[in-house]
Amino acid sequence: MTSQSRFRPANIVKWVFLIAVGLYFFLPMAAMARFGFQSVPTALLTPDKLFTGWSFSGLWTAITDAHMVSGMKTSLILVVLAILLNLVLLVPLAIVTEVRNPRLRPYLTALTLLPWVIPPIALVVGVAATFRATVPWFLASVLSLVPFYALWSMPFTYRALDAGLQAINARTLYEASRSMGASFWTIIFRVLLPNMRASMVAASTLTAAMVLGEFAFASLLLKNTLPTEMVIYQAKNPRGGLAFAIFIMVLTAVAIGLVVRSLRRQGINFNATGI
Amino acid sequence: MATVDMAGIRKTFGPSVALEDFSLSIASGELVCLLGPSGCGKTTALRILAGFERPDAGTVVVEGRDLSNDPPEKRQFGMVFQDYSLFPNMTARQNIDFGLKVQKRSAAERKEIIDRMIAVTALEPHADKFPHQMSGGQKQRVALARAIATSPKVLLLDEPLSALDAKVRETLRDEIRRLQLEIGVTTVFVTHDQHEALAIADRVGVMSNGRLEQLAPPRELYENPANAFVASFIGTVNKLPAEGLDDGRWRVLGRSVLSTVTAAPGATNVAAVRPEQVAVDHADDGTAHVQSASFLGPITRVIADDDTLGRVIADIISADAVGISPGQRVRLRLRDDVSDIVLIGEE
Repeated sequence: MTSQSRFRPANIVKWVFLIAVGLYFFLPMAAMARFGFQSVPTALLTPDKLFTGWSFSGLWTAITDAHMVSGMKTSLILVVLAILLNLVLLVPLAIVTEVRNPRLRPYLTALTLLPWVIPPIALVVGVAATFRATVPWFLASVLSLVPFYALWSMPFTYRALDAGLQAINARTLYEASRSMGASFWTIIFRVLLPNMRASMVAASTLTAAMVLGEFAFASLLLKNTLPTEMVIYQAKNPRGGLAFAIFIMVLTAVAIGLVVRSLRRQGINFNATGI
Repeated sequence: MATVDMAGIRKTFGPSVALEDFSLSIASGELVCLLGPSGCGKTTALRILAGFERPDAGTVVVEGRDLSNDPPEKRQFGMVFQDYSLFPNMTARQNIDFGLKVQKRSAAERKEIIDRMIAVTALEPHADKFPHQMSGGQKQRVALARAIATSPKVLLLDEPLSALDAKVRETLRDEIRRLQLEIGVTTVFVTHDQHEALAIADRVGVMSNGRLEQLAPPRELYENPANAFVASFIGTVNKLPAEGLDDGRWRVLGRSVLSTVTAAPGATNVAAVRPEQVAVDHADDGTAHVQSASFLGPITRVIADDDTLGRVIADIISADAVGISPGQRVRLRLRDDVSDIVLIGEE
């Protein structure tokens, strides 16, 4: 690239735009991090105090808080169960649709988008009314969130699985296996599932990220999950609460990065899984 | 090794008819190419033979046994697809092993077959590679080895070379034919590439609009096309007027020639004249002028515009084409060694 083309007006606009968006995105987070990890009140922050008073003490108080610990435990259990329920429901559905009834695929794609069209409040009110009248004990348990979370992350999960099936050309693999005499179950367990590992990991990562950040359902159903505990905790310890929020964000980013890297190492392209 | 008889096959997808009264008989060990433009029904015919599609009417009989209601996994066919369809999680060796495991062959037997398959497809350096580590040509050789490893009754190839580049395509094409002759497996090869079909098939079935237009050995297809579609689909033809003479012969390009159809005096018809059957002579009073003359090595392709016939293509031996250049007036005639001509009816 010559120096002339580098300073073309279009390029300048592009950089200005990128920097503006970057600032819009990162400035609040940087401010959050400063507030969370530096014990200097904002009003007293002068250039000479920029590097004093940094510590993890706020984060540590938050992490060791009994309510936060119990919220974390609950949320991790919910993550695991929501992932399992989602995979158990959607993997067979996606496979059967793709290899046996490809004509149903557009309908299923539209159907799995429904959870995003229906607002959580409507979903909760409707479902809660039904359950309260029929199986009230179900709503009493914190596990009653699992079906909501599975449903709510379905648009991500189904898309990731479907993209994975398209990427491996599942229909041709299915036909090739059949022409070699393989039974339906052999094809599922020996051919399709092993090759869907990447998309299942992608689907699970998305479900986990969604469950760890979900507030509306938990709050409406009066359950104490990590996000609801965080809101409560932030009210009594703003510094620790924000430090914890930054911590969770970094943790999630690192986790997703590690998953992508391990998949790349196995020669699996994460882009092909729909993310 | 098996004979194949498809009879009276009809298949519709909604309102569109993919196959209509399609019948095809294949001798044991024969390689038949189904050739035609896209949408002609050739792939549908193959998928019906494989069992992936169910015909609306008609029967599929292999080795004298009616397989019409058998699912693909019961037919014991081998199939190769355009997009390789190798299992991404398995090495070349494991891909070949898959069908053998399904057949519950013994470990020793499987190893012996895999080694032989890898040897005949020259895959030794790639045997333990995964599909994403191989080139298109290598992948398709694995797919071929995998398809024939299970000793299928019939080998089905669905445009196996279409995704490969020109050079690999030609090598693999010859390799497929060599292997097919070696193991003597009855084979159906679907392609839209006439050169591919003419080069390797025992017989070629030309299809259009869900019908088998003609099924014949390559040479006969070229020299004696059954109708206008086949004539123009295989190679290049000039469609020239033929005029009936008193002695039952036809006059084409000023010469009297024979045809399988005896002419009635004054009858008119259309002759399918191959470019290599046309000669071009210098003549200042000629009725045509040269539009272009392209040197193609041994032959030169001359495109001439005739005042009454329109555009005529002639392939002449390059030595005879010296001095023929665009703009010149020429006379077109049938070569002296052309004694009979193919008539394809009125257009």
